Amino acid sequence: MTLAADDRRLNDLPRAEQTAVERRDRMFGWLIASPSLGLLFLVILFPVFWALYTSVHDYTLIAPNFDTFNGIDNYTKALGDPEFRHTLWLTAFFVAAVVLLEFALGFLVALMLNSVERFKAIYYAILLCPLLMNPVIVGLIWRMFLHPSLGIVNYLLSLVGIDPVNWLGSTKVALWTIVMVDIWHQVSFMIVLLLAGLSALPREPYEAARVDGASALRSFWHITVPLMLPVIAVTLLIRLIFAVKTYDLVYIMTRGGPGVATDLVSYFIYRTAFVGLNIGEASAMSAILLAVIMGLTVWLHRYMRSLT
Amino acid sequence: MLKKWLLAAALATGLSGPAFAETVNILMEGVPDTEYVKTLLPEFTKETGIEVNLEVVNYAEMHTKLVPQLVAPKGSYSAIVVDFYWVGEFTKAGWLQPLDERIKADNFDTSVYVPKLMDLVGRVDGTTYMLPFYNYAMGLLYRKDLLADEKNKTDFKAKYGFDLDVPKTWDEYLKQVEFFTKDGINGVVNQGLRPDPIAMEWSNYLFANGGEYHDANWKATLNTEAGVKAVEQYATNVNKYGPIGSASFSFDEAFNVMAQGKAYSYITYNFFRAGIDDASKSAVVGKVEIMPVPGTEAGKGGSLNGAWGWAIPKSSPNADAAWKFLKWVESPAIAKKRALQGGSPTRTDVFDDAEVNAKYPYAKALKEMLLTSHNFPVFTYTPQLVEVLGRELSLAVAGEKKPAEALAAIETEMTELAKKDGKLK
Amino acid sequence: MASISLSNVHKFYPNGYAAVRDVSLDIKDGEFMILLGPSGCGKSTTLRMIAGLETISKGDLHIGGARMNDIDPADRDVAIVFQNYALYPHMTVIDNLSFGLRLRGVGRAVIDQRVANIADMLGIGELLSRKPAQLSGGQRQRVALGRALVREPKAFLLDEPLSNLDAKLRSAMRTELIKLHRTLGTTIVHVTHDQVEAMTMGERICIMKDGVIVQVGAPMEVYRNPVNTFVAGFLASPPMNLLRSRLSAQSLSLGDTVLALPPALGQAFAAHAEREVIAGMRPEDFHLKADAAASTAPVKVHAVTTEVLGPEVILVATVSGEQGAEIHIRCPRDFRAKPGEIVIFHYDVSQLQLFDPETTYALKRPVQI
Ligand SMILES: Nc1ncnc2c1ncn2[C@@H]1O[C@H](COP(=O)(O)OP(=O)(O)OP(=O)(O)O)[C@@H](O)[C@H]1O
Ligand SMILES: [Mg+2]
Repeated sequence: MTLAADDRRLNDLPRAEQTAVERRDRMFGWLIASPSLGLLFLVILFPVFWALYTSVHDYTLIAPNFDTFNGIDNYTKALGDPEFRHTLWLTAFFVAAVVLLEFALGFLVALMLNSVERFKAIYYAILLCPLLMNPVIVGLIWRMFLHPSLGIVNYLLSLVGIDPVNWLGSTKVALWTIVMVDIWHQVSFMIVLLLAGLSALPREPYEAARVDGASALRSFWHITVPLMLPVIAVTLLIRLIFAVKTYDLVYIMTRGGPGVATDLVSYFIYRTAFVGLNIGEASAMSAILLAVIMGLTVWLHRYMRSLT
Repeated sequence: MLKKWLLAAALATGLSGPAFAETVNILMEGVPDTEYVKTLLPEFTKETGIEVNLEVVNYAEMHTKLVPQLVAPKGSYSAIVVDFYWVGEFTKAGWLQPLDERIKADNFDTSVYVPKLMDLVGRVDGTTYMLPFYNYAMGLLYRKDLLADEKNKTDFKAKYGFDLDVPKTWDEYLKQVEFFTKDGINGVVNQGLRPDPIAMEWSNYLFANGGEYHDANWKATLNTEAGVKAVEQYATNVNKYGPIGSASFSFDEAFNVMAQGKAYSYITYNFFRAGIDDASKSAVVGKVEIMPVPGTEAGKGGSLNGAWGWAIPKSSPNADAAWKFLKWVESPAIAKKRALQGGSPTRTDVFDDAEVNAKYPYAKALKEMLLTSHNFPVFTYTPQLVEVLGRELSLAVAGEKKPAEALAAIETEMTELAKKDGKLK
Repeated sequence: MASISLSNVHKFYPNGYAAVRDVSLDIKDGEFMILLGPSGCGKSTTLRMIAGLETISKGDLHIGGARMNDIDPADRDVAIVFQNYALYPHMTVIDNLSFGLRLRGVGRAVIDQRVANIADMLGIGELLSRKPAQLSGGQRQRVALGRALVREPKAFLLDEPLSNLDAKLRSAMRTELIKLHRTLGTTIVHVTHDQVEAMTMGERICIMKDGVIVQVGAPMEVYRNPVNTFVAGFLASPPMNLLRSRLSAQSLSLGDTVLALPPALGQAFAAHAEREVIAGMRPEDFHLKADAAASTAPVKVHAVTTEVLGPEVILVATVSGEQGAEIHIRCPRDFRAKPGEIVIFHYDVSQLQLFDPETTYALKRPVQI
C-alpha cells in the first residue's frame, strides 16, 4: 500500500528533479520486479502469442509445424461450424445462469453470514470445502449421487413421493443439472469474496442511515449495493471468466450429451485439438473465445464504473 | 549441483557394477491386464538383467503424455501400449517402428494371434507395428438364472411361440429384452454416454443387424436398412426397456445396474465378466454369463472387437531392450500366465490351453466372440469418428434427430475424414 | 420538539465494560444541553443510546414523554451528527444532505429548498456535487452537520460537531448553532470537550467522568460551584488552582500565607476546622491591587514563568512556603515577571472553594451565583 503510493510519487516527479536516492530506489524497484515481469511475460504472454500464431496456420498433431500459413481460414471454418456456434450459445446461457444464480445465492448467504457473530470460522471452513475439491472429484461424486436408480438424490426424492428424475440423461434437465452442480461447487467462491467485501464496509453509514430513517431493505439498496459495486464487479468478472472455462464437470458428467445438450465451448475446443488433432482451428476458436471474454470484461468494467 | 552429483554417483555405480543395468520404460493404463504384467516383471529382470519401469496412468492422461514423447527425436518411453483408437494416428504420423525385421530375425510366431486382432492392433497396410496385448471385445452379459426359470420359460413360449434359451440370433435377443422388462427389472441396460460408450455399444447393434461401417473402398455404409434398424433398436432399448438415465450411463454405471441384478442383459467389454463374479461388487454372482453378441443368424456374431497392442516408438531410447521385453511378455508361457490371472488373451494357443479353460470355462465363448467379431474403422481419425458417432447417436436417442438423419450426418463427416486421411479416393 | 429524559441508564458493552452507569438526566424541551467530559467518559455512548444506535442495558429513556428504549432509531425522529462524520461515501454532498428527506418521502421542491438553505448557512454551496472523499475534514464535518439540520427533527444530537474546524470557523459555527437553536427552538444535546463551547453554547452543562454524571447545571453555576476537584480542575482554562492547605477557625494557611476568611465562609467551614483541605482558587481571583470591598488578602508568590497570551498573561508561580505546587494566575496583558521574582497578589477570599481531600467533594458553603 505505502509502497505503491511511494512509487506514484516517484514516478510523478520529472526525471531531473529526482534525487540520487530516488533514482537508486527506482533502479532497485526495477531490479526487484524484473524477474517477475519476465516470468509474467513467459508464462502468460508467450502462450497467448503462440496460440494466435498457431491459429493462422494449418497446424495439426499429425503435422505439428508452421509450414502452411492459411490466414483466417481457421477462423472462418470455426465460425461457419454450426456445432461451434451451438456450443458458444450454450456456453453463454450456461455462464449467465451460473453467474447470476451463484451471485444471487452467494450474496444472500454472505449477507446472512456477515451478521453472524459466532462460529464464523466454522462456517468458513464448511463453505470452503467444495471449493477446495477438484472439479473432477466433484463431477464423479455428483454423478454417483445423481445416478437415476442407485443414487441418493433420487432415493431422497422418492421418500417424499417424487418420481425419479433423469438428471443427466434428459436433454431438458442435463444442463440444469450441470448448473446446479456448478453452483454447489463454486458458490462458496462468491460467498467468500462478497463476505470479504461486506466485512470491509464501514459501519458508520449504516448507523447514519438508520437514524435517517432507512429500513434494512433501503439500507441494502442505497448503501450496501453501491458500496459493494467494485467488489461485485470483480467477483462477477472472475466468476464469469472461470465459468466460460468450465470443462471438467461436463467432461466427467455428460461428455456434452445427451445429444448436444451440455456441449460447452471449452470442452468442444479441447476435442477439436486433441480428438480432431486440429490445433490450428482449436487455437482460432480459443482466440474467438478470448476476444468475446475480453469484450465482456471491458463492457462489464465500464458498466460497473458508470454505476458508481 | 545435486544433479551432477547424482549423475556422478550413477556413473560410478554403473562402472563398478558387474554390468550396466538397462531399464525399459513403458507408459501403461491402470487396468487389470497391466497389473498382471507387473506381477511377472521380476521373472524378466532375472532372465535378462533388464529392469522394467511401468508408468501407470489413467486413460484420459495417456494420449496427452504420449504425444510429446513420440514427437521428440528421443523420447523417454522404450515401449508403449497403443489403443486401437490411436493406431491410425500413430502410424500415419510415423511414430512407431516396424517390427517385421525383428520378428523374422527372432522367428517370433505371429500367426497364433486371432487374425481380427492382428488387423486391429498388429498390422497396418501390410506392415507389423504392434503385437496384440489384450483384447476388450464386447460381449453380451445375460442372466442365465432368469433364462432357466420355469415360469419365464412357459410365459415366454406362450407369448412368442418359441423356446426361451440363450439367444441364437439378434432378433431373439431383442424379444428377450422386451420380455424381461417386468417386475422392476429392465430387459437391458445401455451405456448411452457420449462419445465412446455409446459409439462402441451401438457398433454391436450395427454388426448384429448385418451392417458395417464402410465397404472395401471406405465408402460409408451406415445409412442403410441395417444402420437405421440399429439406431431404432438402440433408442428403443434405452428409452423403453432400459432403466431411467441410461442415456447418460458410462460403462461403470451400466455395469452397476447389471451387477445389482436390475437388468437382464448388458453388452459390454469382456473384462467385466470377471467382475460380475466378484461378490464385493456384484449381487448376482454365478448368475451371469457372457456370450458373443448374436448376429442375424446363428453362428454369425455381432460383437465389436477392441484391443491394445505393444509397440516400440521411433523415439525409443533403447529399442533393442524394448523388443526383448515385447518378445518375453508375448511369449506363450508369459501370455498364459497372464491369462491365468484373469487377463484377456489375444493368442489362440492361450485360448485353447487346457489349464486356462479349466479355470475360466467362458474362455471358449470369448474365443468364439473374437473370431466372429467385427472391427471398428481404424484410421487416423478414429477418435474423431467416435466423437461424431457419439454426438449423432446421442441426438437420435434423445429424439432430436431421426435415425436416418443422424446416420446421414455421420456418413457425411466420416466421408470427409476418410478423404482427409487418403483412405477414400 | 421534545424533552429527553434518562433515568438510571446503564450501558454494558458486550465485552462486559460498563461505559455508562446509572445516568439520570432530564433535558427540557428546547433546551441546549452540553455533555462535557474527558475522552472515554461515555459521552458518545450516552448520545448513541439516545439516538437508538446502542441498546440501553438498564434504565429508561423517554423522548417527548414516550418510552423509547425499544423504538427504532428511524422512529425516534432525532438527528445525530457523528463524531466521525459517517457520511455516505458513495453519495455526493447534495445526496448526503437529502437522503434522509427522500427516505421520509418529502417532496422534491421542499428538499431543494431546505438543502439550499442549509448549504448556504454552512458555506458548502460549492461542494454540493463532490463526494466525501474529495472534502477536507472540516468540510465533511459541515456536511455532517448539514445532514442533521436539514431533517428538522425533534432533537439534535451533536457529537463534537466542531472539533475539526479551525478556530475562526469554529467560533462562527458556534454562533450559528446558537442562533439556529434560538430560531428553531429544537432540543440539542451537544457533546464536546471544549471548555469554551461548553461555557458559551449550553444552557446547561452535564459533566461526566468514567461513565457517571458528576455535575449538571448552568454554565456559570458549574463554574462557580464545582461539586468536586474533578469539575474544578476540568472546567475553564487555566482551571482552578488546587492547593493542599490547612483550615483553622476563620483562616486558611497556605504555605507562609495565612488567609483570613470572611465571617460567612468561616461559619460555613467551621465544622471542618483544624483539618487538611484542598483550597480551590480561580486564576482570575488574584489581583495586583487590594480591593477592600471584595475582601482581598495578600498572597506572596515566586514567579516561575509567564505565558504571554496577548489579551492577558498567565503567571505560573509557587506560593511562598509551599514549594511543591504551582499555581496559575491570570494577569493583565502588560504584566511581566522574571523567574524567581517575588510578587504579591491580592486574592479575593470570598471566592475561595474548599474540597475534602479524601472524598474530593466540595465543602459546603453559600452558593455563589
Ligand atoms: N463497542 C464497545 N465495546 C466496548 N467498549 C466500548 C465500546 N465502545 C466504546 N467503548 C468504551 O466505552 C467508553 C466510553 O466510550 P465513548 O465513545 O462513549 O467515549 P467518549 O466520551 O465519547 O470519548 P471521546 O471524547 O474520546 O469521544 C470508552 O472507555 C470506550 O473504550
Ligand atoms: Mg465520543
